Amino acid sequence: METILLKNIHNPNSADISEYKNIGGYRSLEKALAMEPQEVIDEVKRAGLRGRGGAGFPVAMKWTFAAADPKFPKYLLCNADEGEPGTFKDRPILEKNPHILIEGMVISGHALKAEYGYIYLRGEYPAAKHILNKAIKQAYDNNLLGENILGKGITFHLAVHQGAGAYICGEETALIESLEGDKGQPRIKPPFPVNIGVFSKPTVVNNVETLSNLPYIIEAGGETYAKIGTPDCPGPKIFCVSGHIEKPGVYELPMGTTLKDIIYTHCGGIKGGKKLKAVIPGGISTPVLPPDKIDCHMDFVNMPKHGSMLGSGAVIVMDETVCLVKVCYRALRFFEHESCGKCTPCREGTGWLRAILERIEQGHGAEGDIDLLLSVAGNILGKTFCPLGDGAASVVQNFIKHFRPEFEEHIKAKKCTVNG
Amino acid sequence: MKIIAITINGKEIQLEKAVTVLEAARSAGIKIPTLCYHEQLERYGGCRLCLVEVEKMPRLQTACTLMVADGMVVRTETEQIADVRRGILEFLLINHPLDCPYCDKAGECDLQDLVEKYGPAKGRFKEKKRKVAESLADSAIVRNMERCIMCTRCVRMCEGKQGASAIAVIDRGGHSHVEPFSGGKFDCEYCGNCVSVCPVGAMMSRLHRHSYRPWQVKERHETVCPYCAVGCTVVAQVRDDVIMRVIPKLGSAVNNGMLCSRGRFGYEFVGSKDRLTTPLIKKNGKLIEATWEEAITLVAKKLSDIKVTFTSQAIAGISSLRCTNEDNYVFQKFMRAAVGTNNIDTTARTGFAGAQSFIENIFGQGATANIISGLANSDTVLVIGGDPTTINPILGLQIRACARRDGNVLTIGTIDGLRHFNPTKLLPKLQTEATLLEGIVTALREKKGLPGSNAALEAKINEISITADEVIDKTGVSGAELSAFVDLLATAATFSLVIGKDIVQSTGGSYKLLLLSAINYLANGRIYLLSEKANEQGALDMGCAPDILPGHRPVAYPEFRKKCENIWHVELSDKPGLNLFEMIETADKGSLKAVYVMGENPLCNIPDSGRVEAAFRKLDFLVVQDIFLTETAKLADVVLPALSWAEKEGTFTNMERRIQRVRKSVHREGMEDWKIIAEISKNMGYSMDYRGAEDVFHEAAKVSPLHRDLTYEDIENEDNIYPYKGEPLRDAKEEIQVDRSARSAATGTLYLKIEKPLFHSGTMSTKAPALLNIYPQSVARVSAETAQAFSLTEGDVVRVKTKAGSLALFIAIEKDGDSSSVKISNNFEGKNAFRLTDCILDPVTKAPCLDSIEIIIEKVTA
Amino acid sequence: MFNDASIKEIAEIRTKYPNSRAALLPALYVAQREFGWLSPEAYEAVADLLSVPKATARGVGTFYAMYKQKPMGRHLIQLCTNVSCMILGAEKLVDFLKNKYGIEPGGISPDGRFSLVIMECIGACGTAPAMLVNEDFHENLTEKNLEETLEKYR
Repeated sequence: METILLKNIHNPNSADISEYKNIGGYRSLEKALAMEPQEVIDEVKRAGLRGRGGAGFPVAMKWTFAAADPKFPKYLLCNADEGEPGTFKDRPILEKNPHILIEGMVISGHALKAEYGYIYLRGEYPAAKHILNKAIKQAYDNNLLGENILGKGITFHLAVHQGAGAYICGEETALIESLEGDKGQPRIKPPFPVNIGVFSKPTVVNNVETLSNLPYIIEAGGETYAKIGTPDCPGPKIFCVSGHIEKPGVYELPMGTTLKDIIYTHCGGIKGGKKLKAVIPGGISTPVLPPDKIDCHMDFVNMPKHGSMLGSGAVIVMDETVCLVKVCYRALRFFEHESCGKCTPCREGTGWLRAILERIEQGHGAEGDIDLLLSVAGNILGKTFCPLGDGAASVVQNFIKHFRPEFEEHIKAKKCTVNG
Repeated sequence: MKIIAITINGKEIQLEKAVTVLEAARSAGIKIPTLCYHEQLERYGGCRLCLVEVEKMPRLQTACTLMVADGMVVRTETEQIADVRRGILEFLLINHPLDCPYCDKAGECDLQDLVEKYGPAKGRFKEKKRKVAESLADSAIVRNMERCIMCTRCVRMCEGKQGASAIAVIDRGGHSHVEPFSGGKFDCEYCGNCVSVCPVGAMMSRLHRHSYRPWQVKERHETVCPYCAVGCTVVAQVRDDVIMRVIPKLGSAVNNGMLCSRGRFGYEFVGSKDRLTTPLIKKNGKLIEATWEEAITLVAKKLSDIKVTFTSQAIAGISSLRCTNEDNYVFQKFMRAAVGTNNIDTTARTGFAGAQSFIENIFGQGATANIISGLANSDTVLVIGGDPTTINPILGLQIRACARRDGNVLTIGTIDGLRHFNPTKLLPKLQTEATLLEGIVTALREKKGLPGSNAALEAKINEISITADEVIDKTGVSGAELSAFVDLLATAATFSLVIGKDIVQSTGGSYKLLLLSAINYLANGRIYLLSEKANEQGALDMGCAPDILPGHRPVAYPEFRKKCENIWHVELSDKPGLNLFEMIETADKGSLKAVYVMGENPLCNIPDSGRVEAAFRKLDFLVVQDIFLTETAKLADVVLPALSWAEKEGTFTNMERRIQRVRKSVHREGMEDWKIIAEISKNMGYSMDYRGAEDVFHEAAKVSPLHRDLTYEDIENEDNIYPYKGEPLRDAKEEIQVDRSARSAATGTLYLKIEKPLFHSGTMSTKAPALLNIYPQSVARVSAETAQAFSLTEGDVVRVKTKAGSLALFIAIEKDGDSSSVKISNNFEGKNAFRLTDCILDPVTKAPCLDSIEIIIEKVTA
Repeated sequence: MFNDASIKEIAEIRTKYPNSRAALLPALYVAQREFGWLSPEAYEAVADLLSVPKATARGVGTFYAMYKQKPMGRHLIQLCTNVSCMILGAEKLVDFLKNKYGIEPGGISPDGRFSLVIMECIGACGTAPAMLVNEDFHENLTEKNLEETLEKYR
């Protein structure tokens, strides 16, 4: 398939505006600026674009809410806080193809009548910060950002706001708090950001990959775009594959490509020809799948039917040498570290789950610990302020659901039975 | 309006406005457990205890955040919900120590109560609990982070309500804990409102640490704070006749659950070992213990003798801004009826009294009787002449609330307590406020025109004219700043003007008050006159002034005198008495022979303390009635111990002129101030026979047209808002006097500025150990720049000198302080700022001008 | 106190936002760079400059893992040990750093040259194990190339 989002990234100068323009960059912006904002929204609606951050919310719907709010100025925030472990899909766009994002943001800004945009970039991407700042400067110099863009009377200012190491800021209201100079703790919803967002103004938060789809949607038209992928979830999707895989990396494939195809057709199968033991399909918060469940279409609609989620499309492949108790423990260490502390179940529960897993992993597990894990996870699930706690609980539940014997053996043998 | 109908646990509830499910449930008497919710704070949704089932919603919902919607069906008591609550409490108990037997909170701990009700009886957490040592780094607040359940109520209180932002949640997740910036000492405003809202034993007052259990408190007395004129409702919790703590009350009219440092931590003066216990009589230059009989007989005899020998006019009385209305009423009646003179005044003369008369003469009586909470709802507030957040802290919070609600807060000069509230500031050069105010009046008049409702004032406004260029040139304020400021005033729909004493006590103070009155008039606002003492307004309204009778009626009017005469059965002098400053002057000259001081410390509280002392030393006879042996009391011939605020019944009138009940909280041997006076009066042959404070008030309500028919019952029923059932004085306006001549031209480099610390008020607060721990002594506070210029470091000793006097003080350095002033407070006897001031009076308000006192600093080498 | 260049930089950052509070995170980065870590003085400097209460500034600063609350070594090693890196041997690299350079996670090497912080995914999972040294990514790490890489940071 011809790549849309990762087009030209193998060109060493792909981040430069002239290279981007050479391959037709910013022509969609010109086209979009000639359209009425509502026409842009309609085009996106025809495209059926869903948010690529993980939730898959229809983009046109979110935009419509924000556009309908009478308050100004409006803000467009790009969520570049790619923190879901296993995820590195946005990084190539940010580092190698920044202008597709900028162009996408200006188009979106026009559609929303938003005058200000920020790219909320995770602190762990220092290189991307410099690249984006340079690209933004080039865009300003070329009258593609700022006042009266391309002489069309449109204003859109853009700046990079760097996060500082907090996974929770990927949650849109936490991101907004963080942009406002506060702790990244999620807000009560409603009100939703589309009405009361950053600086109390209507705000749309879209993921890097989502926004980068805009130039193509405008260029090719929504209908053409919608032919890519599946009818429910059109468009290309960047999958990032890591772990025990022959050819790890980023792959731009149609939405709905099966997990099996990704692993075996595109990525060359399990590293060293070893046996597949487990796959996390969409980043660490998504339910782990055993090998017999990987023949599933990777999209927002189909994955839940297979007991998991598309998430960020971050595929982590684990072969037979991996101790899943340890992976589960490591995952909970992550959730404990990233819990913002606002709500009781997540703040106290993630640490407790980690503690139980830690003792099992270190050979001090006791009978009843698995039930205790499930009970504690159950006391978290559905009771937390935001989805972070749910993610932690469901990781434990799903590892136990699919790999309970391994946990039992670990407890019984008082040591790891996979790697001795 | 559309009614919202919802069903909770099968019970249908009708609501007139959208509230949270929790509030709806509570209104219907359905209890939903909570920890992070607090009615004073914003919705939070953190603890998750209030999760409930809502039909058609897939997830459980927190009742404290979910707004009701018509047709909503909620269930709060299901098996699932019981499990959820147990689960949440189990999570909280993972790290919460089970040290209830040792914890002061036990017995009034929300967590303890909830676990008792919902379980779990036993936890399943096998790992070690978090261990954090209790922090005793602070003298007032004990912080115990082991017990903290991260409800963040303290932080939300500190940031969102108090506006101090002195504590914050540090770290995140399971490591989250609450700390002041230093990690130890709080160094904050010490309102202690964090302590009020903590549901567990994580933030507690150190004052009563391990001294009693909550259930041992048998008495709770709702009374009024003794410190400033805001008049906060406080609850004194008493055990065995000792106040164990003072707490605020939710829902109270003035302070609604908030307190300041003085109100919360300043009560210990009541039980101070320094309290006077017995009358003292000076013999051979020494104060010797005496019986009540000896003392009362002596005072009565001496005053009677002086009256005979030198006439009544040789006797004067200084009454108290801290005593009750009843005390003050009896005191002025004693002076007028028993002694026979109008020589009665209070330290309200140093600013408040003159300023209020001036303003009332323009706008009518009651012009400053405005409801404090109205400030929060004003769209524009202008503050000048003092920091409301330290002088009247709870009023200050209302200004902060206004800023938080996106109101425009304007200040002339820097108001430190509004620093983080983004005020629109004008910073005129030293002593150019009058020019700036003229500029504002001129521009505002041009912008808005004259409303035409106050001819006398408009005549004065029309005399004011200054060009913007002149204002810019003289004040150093830029044209853009000035016009932006005037624009905000001009577009204000609900304007409030807050005036502090610094402007009253400045050179040309009365002219500035005229200009401020003009601004208030043009912007159609209301005026708040800051007042430092609890019953300053009450003392005036009870007639403790040389020219006014109870009800704020002029002595000069025969009809008002007549009314008093009829009830008091004596003939009153129509001659206005000596005011406070005239008393000092005549004492100094030798024509005033005796002064009776009730609950006041003139040596500290009247400017030019040295001169006051010299004058008092010349008196033939000085009586001081107080609760402590003050500097003034030490000079007295007779000292009479009085009962304190906590030991008597009565009323205070706050700055809104709201009358509130002061209630006896603890018992102590002795007499109320009014009772002592009545005894002396009786000995002088003028009988005053009252059964109690209520009886006194009853008489005052007969004498005073303002307090007409007002009873304690009315006051307790909150029918206590000005002008009660009485009537303000109308049509007694005099020509507005203006004195434009007094303008000080700044020539010096450093000026004395009287600091009004948050932690002290008068000298009474220096007898409260907790406040003294926070602010232990008088210091000379200078800016970092000044410190550098004089090579001073924190803690150096300096000698500060003015024309009037000199003091040796420690240096304190303020990072962003103003470099033209040396700030010294007036709270510490012998080291008070008034030792350094002269006492030149404004010709109109008769307030002392204290703004242009040049001061020199000399470093005292060790 | 900040030096003039930092004050200017923060003033410039401030213009990107509608209020000064929003400039807090970037200003803390500037302070961290200038003071080496977010010392009480650093927090006070930022708080004063942006007119944010200092306790609030510290509360915000301590929330984020990348703001350092204690002094740091000359070079900052941020090594990822999250799942993708872990299953490809990141933990061995942690041991290697401990043995070779004497650095514990969260600590400083005895010579003050390196600080080590264990990271929660740095977005280099396809080239795991990976680390950042200061602002540079180093990927597909082995003990050998890790040592060679660190040699470049003196």
